[in-house]
Amino acid sequence: MMRLTCPFCGARELHEFQFHKTAPEPGANPFAAVYERVNRTDISQEYWQHLHGCRAWLYVSRNPSTGEVYQVHLLGTQS
Amino acid sequence: MTLRRALSTRRGHRVTSQSVSFQFDGREYTAQAGDTVASALLAHGVRLFGRSVKYRRPRGVFAAGPEEPNALLTVGTQPCVIPNVSAPQLAITPQLITRSQNRWPSLRVDLHALLQAGSGFLGAGFYYKTFMWPSWRTYETMIRHLAGLGEAPGAADIAPPHVEYVSCDVLVGGAGAAGLAAALAAARAGARVVVCEREPQAGGELEFETATIDEQSATEWVSSALAELARAGARVLYHTAIVGGSDGLVIAHAEPGGGAKDNTVYRIRPQKFVMAMGAVERGIAFVDNDRPGVMLLGAAERYLARYGVAVGKELVLFGNHDRLYASAQRLHAAGMRIRAIIDTRGDVSAVTIGLRARLTGMGVECLGGHAVAEVHGAHGVRRICVVDLQAPGTKIFIECDALLVSGGWTPMLQAALHDGGQREFAAQAGGFVANAQPEWRTAVGACAGTFELSVLLTESFRAAAQLSQSVGAMGVVGRAPVGRGDTAPQLQAFWRSACTRAQEKRQFVDLQNDVTVADLRLALSEGFVDIEHIKRYTTLGIGTEQGRTGGLLGAAIVAELKGEPLSRVGVSRTRPPYQPMTLSSLAGLNQGDALRVTRRTPLHAWNQANGAVFEPAEYWLRTRYYRANGTDAFTAGIQEATQVRAHGGILDGSTLGKIEIAGADAAAFLDRLYLTKASTMKVGRSKYMVNLREDGMVLDDGIVLRLAPNRFLATTGSGHAEHMLSHFEHYRALEWSHRQVAITNLTEAWAVIVVAGPESRAALIRVLGEAWHARLSGLTHMDFSVSRWNGQTLRVLRASFSGELAFELHCQHGIAVPLWEALVAAGLQPYGLEALDILRVEKGYLVSSEMNGEATPQDLGMDGLVNLGNECVGRAMLGRPAFAEPQRPRLVGLRACDGKSVIQGGAQITLTTTDTHALGHVSSSVYSPALGQWIALAFVARDRAAPGTVLVARDPLRGTDVDVVVTSPVHVDSSSERMKA
Repeated sequence: MMRLTCPFCGARELHEFQFHKTAPEPGANPFAAVYERVNRTDISQEYWQHLHGCRAWLYVSRNPSTGEVYQVHLLGTQS
Repeated sequence: MTLRRALSTRRGHRVTSQSVSFQFDGREYTAQAGDTVASALLAHGVRLFGRSVKYRRPRGVFAAGPEEPNALLTVGTQPCVIPNVSAPQLAITPQLITRSQNRWPSLRVDLHALLQAGSGFLGAGFYYKTFMWPSWRTYETMIRHLAGLGEAPGAADIAPPHVEYVSCDVLVGGAGAAGLAAALAAARAGARVVVCEREPQAGGELEFETATIDEQSATEWVSSALAELARAGARVLYHTAIVGGSDGLVIAHAEPGGGAKDNTVYRIRPQKFVMAMGAVERGIAFVDNDRPGVMLLGAAERYLARYGVAVGKELVLFGNHDRLYASAQRLHAAGMRIRAIIDTRGDVSAVTIGLRARLTGMGVECLGGHAVAEVHGAHGVRRICVVDLQAPGTKIFIECDALLVSGGWTPMLQAALHDGGQREFAAQAGGFVANAQPEWRTAVGACAGTFELSVLLTESFRAAAQLSQSVGAMGVVGRAPVGRGDTAPQLQAFWRSACTRAQEKRQFVDLQNDVTVADLRLALSEGFVDIEHIKRYTTLGIGTEQGRTGGLLGAAIVAELKGEPLSRVGVSRTRPPYQPMTLSSLAGLNQGDALRVTRRTPLHAWNQANGAVFEPAEYWLRTRYYRANGTDAFTAGIQEATQVRAHGGILDGSTLGKIEIAGADAAAFLDRLYLTKASTMKVGRSKYMVNLREDGMVLDDGIVLRLAPNRFLATTGSGHAEHMLSHFEHYRALEWSHRQVAITNLTEAWAVIVVAGPESRAALIRVLGEAWHARLSGLTHMDFSVSRWNGQTLRVLRASFSGELAFELHCQHGIAVPLWEALVAAGLQPYGLEALDILRVEKGYLVSSEMNGEATPQDLGMDGLVNLGNECVGRAMLGRPAFAEPQRPRLVGLRACDGKSVIQGGAQITLTTTDTHALGHVSSSVYSPALGQWIALAFVARDRAAPGTVLVARDPLRGTDVDVVVTSPVHVDSSSERMKA
């Protein structure tokens, strides 16, 4: 089972988190941000919430093909 | 009946002399404590354990572990049965009741088998090809009755499993020679070690090996290794199989004694995982190789060593490697008579020639370069036919009652193929072994294709030492254990004996699923060339057996039939779990009451005591209606709604979502999230407000109260509070992390009592007392006032979801029940959701049936709010041209033209009774006591939505077509005179 490292709580199992959606490309127009989602297999930028934990909203970059998680940081702390 | 135990001189290290009894197919059998059902029945000379799933062929025990394809039993009596329990794993416990499967009326005489005797064998896809007229569905029920493995339980009777979370530095799967060597290295290095062994004891093949390790007998070495592991604090879990896992999590399942009665699911998070799960012996295909009495050689050795059971009186051994001879010596030494050893290898080493000579001296006929072609005896092996591979015409017949087969060992790669793990073909193993693995795990021993004891001890010891170092366990590991007296098995691939095309129908490849060589040939001829397609077409390797004994064999025969190397054909992927688990075990703790939270309001107990009929609404239990008010929900709902409009009523509205938004930037934050502005609201006022999703669809609505300049309370739909909380938090994080906004969910902090109806104000003044008189009289629509009642905070908001003069009382839990009781005493009758629904549909108010995620604010008639022009989340999308198209449905009211027909919720709106093009649908419908007829809220294409338009509400499912006329969604009191009274 995939784990994400919450900046507050440390490495936690997937079932503590809730996936929200893939993040829109930076600077995308409103229509593209809502409808034109990229579906990359090498890197996926996603919004998650540590819902059954500290409730922090997270920005997660991971590889959907291998399951490798590249980076997790608090949403809003980094552009 | 002679006890087969009496035939052997071995005691069996797992059994004691204590006697126990159990039931099999209605008969009592005695066994020794420690026996499994398979060993006990074998001891009694029972050979027939069940019938096969497709042809209903008689079948006996074939293996001695979870790979058993035939001897699957049903445990218990209906409705509380567990099907498909492997007899070799099922420990005998008091009052154990077991039954054979796939037979009717009895195991000896099966009607289906008799029927099939006339029709011959059914090839792959037979049912689908044959039962086509008029359609497969005509026959499906009957065929499904015959198909399937075992019977499903009629009731759940299994306690949830224990679930244990384990973390460790090094997890070792399997406590055979390789696993123990690896565990020793890791433990010496100082790693935290967990070992999972699916058998009740460690040692694996060492159980009956004659080899020595570190100058001790194999079994002595196992004991000393376990003692050392215990001293080092390593944890060894027996009866525990690695069943699956992914992303660094390994799932192990312990089921002591089989049958799921007392099982544990381990969720293990190791830093490193050493896979030493070994290999499973496989068979060889020959004609009628499925007869009871044909058994894996290693299984026969296990029944002897563990339980002291001789699987036959007159044995023949058949295989393609050197281990046949050591086995024969052990079986012979235990007092069993070996008639012959049939070795497919003609060209053998000097060592093998020596082995043969020794056994020939003991009276065993050793036939090199021969193979078993056919078995005779319908209910059990009576005689075998052996052919010389160099001179196929010559046949030798040998009488025997057990034929022990060994075609080599198939590495168990289940865990090794998860998470992108790879396998490769290894000629010396005759099959596929684990190779490239993710960095956190490694395969050793037979899993990696090493079968020679001395080599695998060293290799796995070193691999584990290295892994331990990589996780910081740097202790001195010393030297690897040294094994002696065991050599490589010198396997020469041999998959099946020659036979005629007709006989291929009786050369079984997958015993559990009745897949024969003929099926594989048929699948290939019909164009199924990939091994995964062949698996799905023929059922090769499905079921509980998952191709352990037959998967590689099938692939090798496909390779032969295709004329391709096995390395290119590959084997089909197996699926977790490694051995059968009940659904209850898979669910873990997520079952029964623990599956879902149930929330009850502070008034729940009162409601329950006063005849409330509850209905789940998301996590909440809400009152649907009160029994005293009618015989059913329909009549009670009408009575309660009528009472509200005539006099007044009270509703438990505690489920209302309540989220507090506070801070210097709270007003600006709400402006961003709602369609209209919160910042323009005065303190003490409230406002009906709507949220949009980012795509412009209405997400939720509610009343927002301004409690203080920097403090708001946003109410949300019942059951939406969690979602709306996340929604608020998301936007705060996304766009507002540098601003001051605090968001708190207060849903459960406040009880809510709704007081509605023309008499509500007067009743409320009587209940709350004169102190509240002026306050309540002065409250205009959407005003609120906060004070205290009985010493606790009470907030009274004048707002209405019924169209009547109404108040929402937000109170602290301590006064909820006294306040409610006082209101009842003041003559207000409690009402429930049925009445609430009638009242809100009459007034054209919305719930999630209307705010269904497909409706924009304009669709819902909120053009006025949109036109205020507040820039909020989702607003940018509202200008999309598609939202203004004439066919786009918008909210309207509907009534039946005849004033009496029922309009069904969900009915499609069409132009005529024959039209199949829907212009929209009915989202809510109720019988309106105020109007004396059925009314509805519906979505209808804008260009057909003008009031007075006559349309049809078609409900083909329930067979009703009703002529309806479009009205305003507000059916009652459209000028809101009652509400603002």
